[in-house]
Amino acid sequence: MLEIRDLHVTVDGKEILKGLNLSIPAGEVHAVMGPNGSGKSTLSYTLAGREGYDITSGSILYKGEELAALTPDARAAKGFFLALQYPVEIPGVSTMVFLKTALNAQRRARGEDEVDAVKVLRLVREKAKALNITEDMLRRPLNVGFSGGEKKRLEILQMALFEPSLAVLDETDSGLDIDALRLVAEGVNAMRSPARAMLVITHYQRLLDYIVPTRVHVLRAGQIVTSGGPELAKELEKKGYETITGAAA
Amino acid sequence: MTVEALPRVDPKTALFRKDFAANAADLPGAGLGWLDARRGAALEAFALSGMPTRRIEAWKYTDLAVALENDLEPATPFRAEDAAAIADSAVFAGAMQIVLVNGYLHSIGGAGLTDAIDVVDLAQLSVRTPDWVEKHLGARAAGSDQILGAASLALMRGGIAVRVRAGSVDLPPLQISVVNPARGHGVMSHTRVLLVIEDGASLDLIETHAGEGEAKGLANLGMEIVLGENAVLNHTRLQDEAGGTLHVASIGAFLSRDSRYHVLLGNFGGRLSRVDMNVRLAEIGAEAHIRSIAVLDGERHADVTTVMDHASPHTVSRQLFKSVVGGRSRSVSQGRVTVHKGAVRSDSHQMYKALLLGPRAEADAKPELEIYADDVVCGHGTAIGALDDTALFYLRARGIPMEEARAMLVRAFLEEVIDGFAEGDLRDALWRRIDTALASAQGGAA
Repeated sequence: MLEIRDLHVTVDGKEILKGLNLSIPAGEVHAVMGPNGSGKSTLSYTLAGREGYDITSGSILYKGEELAALTPDARAAKGFFLALQYPVEIPGVSTMVFLKTALNAQRRARGEDEVDAVKVLRLVREKAKALNITEDMLRRPLNVGFSGGEKKRLEILQMALFEPSLAVLDETDSGLDIDALRLVAEGVNAMRSPARAMLVITHYQRLLDYIVPTRVHVLRAGQIVTSGGPELAKELEKKGYETITGAAA
Repeated sequence: MTVEALPRVDPKTALFRKDFAANAADLPGAGLGWLDARRGAALEAFALSGMPTRRIEAWKYTDLAVALENDLEPATPFRAEDAAAIADSAVFAGAMQIVLVNGYLHSIGGAGLTDAIDVVDLAQLSVRTPDWVEKHLGARAAGSDQILGAASLALMRGGIAVRVRAGSVDLPPLQISVVNPARGHGVMSHTRVLLVIEDGASLDLIETHAGEGEAKGLANLGMEIVLGENAVLNHTRLQDEAGGTLHVASIGAFLSRDSRYHVLLGNFGGRLSRVDMNVRLAEIGAEAHIRSIAVLDGERHADVTTVMDHASPHTVSRQLFKSVVGGRSRSVSQGRVTVHKGAVRSDSHQMYKALLLGPRAEADAKPELEIYADDVVCGHGTAIGALDDTALFYLRARGIPMEEARAMLVRAFLEEVIDGFAEGDLRDALWRRIDTALASAQGGAA
């Protein structure tokens, strides 16, 4: 599903990713763990195609296609989804209108028929219930006045609505209490499927108690320095990044 | 007074003075003592400062003297070929419509006028002109604080005085359509509108300005608004002049006890526009809300300058300005709030925001506050910037293409101004006009 080869990325002229390799087959959930400044967010923004994240060499193949040439919206239409660490507040755009606009923009780009407002509403309500997202939240301006947990749940709702082939969750656990964490994890686990790949990016092992990954990779100074099974996450938690990667974190 | 005795003047100032010197005897109402006196005082106020340049503090960002052509001729009234331009001026559903052509009263149409409304044609002033016109006409928007307003009174060719009788409520909206048809060369119109809403009366007013042709003319309007006790005026103003026009409007509003004035100033057209608005919260409990939207494409200049006087206790003012500036356009927002001595418990807030769509767009915002009373709540803020990259990325990451995402964010930016003000047809018309201007402004900025 995702094949990253020798990826070098610079931000503001500074190289952050320095030859990153990562391969995620369909049906698997991988975790990338790393200390602050290791390049976790750069990886997620680069995958989503954010401006200012310049690929200087290497490649990102998604379903065999090079991602670098695609705009962020084209990537979304092709089934790529990034749950942001800090979902953006947009006053003046109601959450429901945003969801409908985004869903239909993706469908239009794929040459599919648009879904009418009533059907979108039904679809959203059905997914929202499981995530404990209220009607009131859906009416409010996008993410405005939402708590940290509400914002993250709304990200998961979007993932459920768009049904991506590849989902990247960037520090989705940050700022969540244990109940919210469980709710979010359940939402993610419900999306696991043989046709879908997921990448969970996190600083802490905690989230991985709930979303058990197929593989765990450790990111340090812009490279994957070691990989292993789910037990690697527990080991990291116990011993710290320093011991595992053989350098100060 | 004698114009000739004043010192040498620049050609732009001379343009107005020559017009007056040549035509004073033929101006409507000439010979009426009360009007001659007010006109004379107005011309003197204008002549003392001359055509505004940046040297005048209130015109710091807008040099009218430079923008004005010096060979303009007085505009002429309706001609048969103007019919198309008038037909283009849409009537809002159910509205009573008054059409002015080049500043002259042309027709009364739409739903017609109810008995609650009196209209006087200012081109036909005479000794039989009603007292309420004589009492108010030229009392506001005609002094040294609104220089072009003063010129509009001195050189007035026509216009209307409208009165809504005491206690009249639930009237259909009144639409005043000001149409400036092409004359093949640059013309100047000097128009006055007097609007008196008597005690306890309420009116929704839609004021539209449209024109045709690319000639570099001047449409100069002086507007006086008098609100009686408990009167309510909801005023929407859509300035959509032709591309060459200089649009100058001087609005002076007087608010009596517990009256409410809500206005939305929409500026979209014209080469240069200046809305000069003075609101006097004269009596206890008066309340004024000014909202302003400018969406500027190409190379336009739109200046909204307000003076808000809290002259009595328990008065409230709110000002919310939002400009979207594309191309090489420039938006100017200035507002001075003065809380006068004794106006305790005054409550005032000003917010000016501008969104710049490209590197050549410019916005200036200058709020000012002068407080001479105790126990008041006053605040102001400004924010000028480009579209938020993070928000743009977020929408695009969800599959929304660049142009659609930009439009969504710009509309969201403006929504706050329209929300809670306009509903139904008016709201739809506003958004249609905004969307057209945005499409053009976004295209120009890309």
